[in-house]
Amino acid sequence: MSTVLAAVDNSPAAGPVLAAARRLAGATGSSVRAVHVGEPGRPAPQELADRLAVELTVVDGTGREVEDVLLESFRAEGVRMGVVGARDVPGGARPVGHIAQRLVESSEVPVLVVPPDAPESAGRPPWRVLLPLEGDEETSRDLAGRLARLLPSDVELVVLHVATAATAPVVDHAEWGISLWAEEFLARYCPTASRVDLRSGDVGGRILEACADVEADLVVLSWSQDTSAGHAAVVRDVLAHTTIPVALIPVARRRDATSTATSASDAGAEG
Amino acid sequence: MVDLEAGCPGALRRVADHEVDPAWGVSLPSDRERERVAESLGALCEAGVGVRGAREEDGPGTSPLFVASGVFTADALPHLLPGPDWTRLDVSGGGRAGRQLDLREAMLVRDDTENGLRSTRFLSAGRPGIGVLVATAPTERFAVRAPFEDEPPAVEQGRAADTWWARSCDGDAGIAVAVRDRWSTQDGRRSLERVVAWSADAHSIPEVEPIVQRVVEAERVGVAALVDEHRAAWRRRWADADVVVEGDPVLQRAARLAVYHLLTAAASHGAAAIGPRGATGAAYGGHVFWDADVFVLPALAAIAPDAARAVVRYRIDRLPAARSAARALGLGGARFPWESAASGVDVTPDLVRAPGGGTIVVRTGDQEEHIVSDVAWAADLVARWTGDARFLDGPAGELVLDAARYWASRVELDAAGRGHVRDVMGPDEYHPAVDDDAFTNVMARWTLRRAAALVDARGGPTEAARRWREVADDLVDGWDAARGTYEQFAGYWTLEPLLADLAPRPFGADMLLGPERVAASQVVKQPDVLMLHQLVPDELVPGSLPAAIDAYEPRTCHGSSLSPATVAGLQARAGRADEAAATLDLAARIDLDDLTGTTAAGLHLATMGGLWQALAGGFLGVRPVDGALHVDPCLPAAWASLRMTFRFQGEVVSVLVDADGIEVRCERPLHVVVHGRPSSCDPPGRRWAARPVEEAS
Repeated sequence: MSTVLAAVDNSPAAGPVLAAARRLAGATGSSVRAVHVGEPGRPAPQELADRLAVELTVVDGTGREVEDVLLESFRAEGVRMGVVGARDVPGGARPVGHIAQRLVESSEVPVLVVPPDAPESAGRPPWRVLLPLEGDEETSRDLAGRLARLLPSDVELVVLHVATAATAPVVDHAEWGISLWAEEFLARYCPTASRVDLRSGDVGGRILEACADVEADLVVLSWSQDTSAGHAAVVRDVLAHTTIPVALIPVARRRDATSTATSASDAGAEG
Repeated sequence: MVDLEAGCPGALRRVADHEVDPAWGVSLPSDRERERVAESLGALCEAGVGVRGAREEDGPGTSPLFVASGVFTADALPHLLPGPDWTRLDVSGGGRAGRQLDLREAMLVRDDTENGLRSTRFLSAGRPGIGVLVATAPTERFAVRAPFEDEPPAVEQGRAADTWWARSCDGDAGIAVAVRDRWSTQDGRRSLERVVAWSADAHSIPEVEPIVQRVVEAERVGVAALVDEHRAAWRRRWADADVVVEGDPVLQRAARLAVYHLLTAAASHGAAAIGPRGATGAAYGGHVFWDADVFVLPALAAIAPDAARAVVRYRIDRLPAARSAARALGLGGARFPWESAASGVDVTPDLVRAPGGGTIVVRTGDQEEHIVSDVAWAADLVARWTGDARFLDGPAGELVLDAARYWASRVELDAAGRGHVRDVMGPDEYHPAVDDDAFTNVMARWTLRRAAALVDARGGPTEAARRWREVADDLVDGWDAARGTYEQFAGYWTLEPLLADLAPRPFGADMLLGPERVAASQVVKQPDVLMLHQLVPDELVPGSLPAAIDAYEPRTCHGSSLSPATVAGLQARAGRADEAAATLDLAARIDLDDLTGTTAAGLHLATMGGLWQALAGGFLGVRPVDGALHVDPCLPAAWASLRMTFRFQGEVVSVLVDADGIEVRCERPLHVVVHGRPSSCDPPGRRWAARPVEEAS
């Protein structure tokens, strides 16, 4: 049985993190566990774990960075997805904390980032999941298959495509052309999605708007974990402003001179 | 290596023997994601009927389809009636590789050597309403199965002796198919020869007995003979309509793909309702737009004139509905609909779901009134290319006259006596509800003047002609002497001066910027003013083409697949052949490279018509003018030669342009005008040296 592993500390963010992990595990038939990196003089969130009936493992982190310990835990056999809080306390739009940042950049398994003010009651099945896709075959092709293994089988997938200079579709006879384009986009990149939502403009902003408009319970971003200059702007933007959990799916990418941004999160300069 | 010929019946061996000439082959994509693109590229058509190139085993993600242009469902928003699927076989283990459309022989060939599966199919050009599918595969993966077993319950089926039949009907329309199969097994391989006959009718349910008889007769003739008939017919067709571009293999392939689909888009009799994607897919419901009149018909007039007449006949048959529509608006003449199906009433959807949710009001149906002139122009073009002086004496002429009556009643005069057409949309659909769209007004002016001339020629009442000429003369056209071109519509130059350099072209500016922003800008979806230079150059200020290109080409994002070919042809006319070739490349690759992401829904037939026009009218510079064939070529440096064969005034003409000059081959004496100098051409032909124009010895 695969495991959803939640990284928890003693902050107010731990509750939503653990709740999100439980929901995801329950919906996917996975087990759920929590891991806490112990610090001298600071108790583990055992009471929270007991209340939510989640097995908590406390790992001695003496002499090591917390994020390194957590990454090691995420690499353990059977971990399907790691779950971490975006930051320790609510307080409006801000970048994610350094631990969450390190985890999403370096984890080999998908990471669910949970904002501290994520509604605990949200996410009763069937979930509605927003999936931004650029329509790049290199990354999009495999994504639908990976999602099928990560998410409950009864999710409603809503694909979002934010048209950019590289992807703005040519639509003859708009009264027909949009649906033609949308049908093929879904058939090619995500046949199980219920529909595709087409927008234009700032990618991160459109993702956040779409999350609210479609009432998504979860948004999934695929990305290359490349945080060098000109990359990951969309991921940073979404993580800073989201009020719902964000699942970050790392994808392998060829790094050559001809490669272009191929996921919504790697939209680069326009993000 | 599997010996695919072992165990093949003789006919199958004959069919399987042919190799696809690379200059004539279109390889279908073999990846799963582009399965439906492959089906479109592998579509076979004949006389307006089409079968998509779905693999015989079909399966998830495929979209097999057998349709007939003009045969619609009876829904309030009609779409092409799906016919029975006769290509489905119970074969397994096949892959997606090894499929090619052989344009020269009009066959879809599947050579899956890895899995030992081979098939060939064609729609006979030698015997109307007959098709053939032959297939062979290892016995364990190819089951004998009756046809039509997977058809939905609504499809009526039956059997008459060894003939299976199925019939799809909706309202008064129907498509019936009869099939005879001949199976054989030898040396571990199973083979099938399938002969099919079909009948499709937009106005009555096809009877089964005639197609049963036809398929029995075709099977009696034998697959080998059917193949020979079909190949011979296509040899004749290509001899009379080929395009040979030396120096651009992609364009060569695209040009022949275009000619293939243009030649098969309509029957040579009756009325032809040609949708933007022909019979290669279900896109647009098969509705008829101006695409048929202005993009497809001009090519047909030259390479399939009887089919062009059928396109005009479609409009003639719907003249009563168009007259009613005009009357309902309180106007005279005929108001053809923007989207037309079986009845001739407007079937343009009123609303469309907006990309981000909500709905958008569709205004093309109400505002793209230029369709009225487009229909008239098309009828006149057929007369000019065919040399049929009497074509407009009959019902076709009524299209022109009623279009003039419409505009005469539609034009509003201001206090100064200038004529205006307000609240319209031109071909550039990014700018709705504009006044005095140049394309609309100038085409209306042409229509009024053409109709007046027609009336004069008929010796009829002259008051109408006088009135129409007066209205034409009063119409504003947006001519801007300072800029040397026409303002696309009133106030266009006051809009945000955005150029179409926001993204690599083609791109959808409305998708990128949003419809509100783009409507407030100068970015143009497709040629509007420039379209006038293609259709009615004699209505425009002489020498104004370069300024029009300079003004509008940088603003044109090619947000319509119809756009690049038109611009390319005009760039060639303006002597900018290398730029033109680069622009034409976009049109050539629209489907070959699926540039719009919608080839899966069908091939862009109207773009193909535009491509042909760009080559003929743009690069070769051929035009029928007052009974003479004008030839004024301008080729890019990369092309060693361009040869096109077509019909002019009913006779086959071939024009070749190469480094040495121009060669015209003809079947009877022709009046020609070469580089502006009148001349003549006697059979078998004549050559002119490259400029300066001198007669070759």
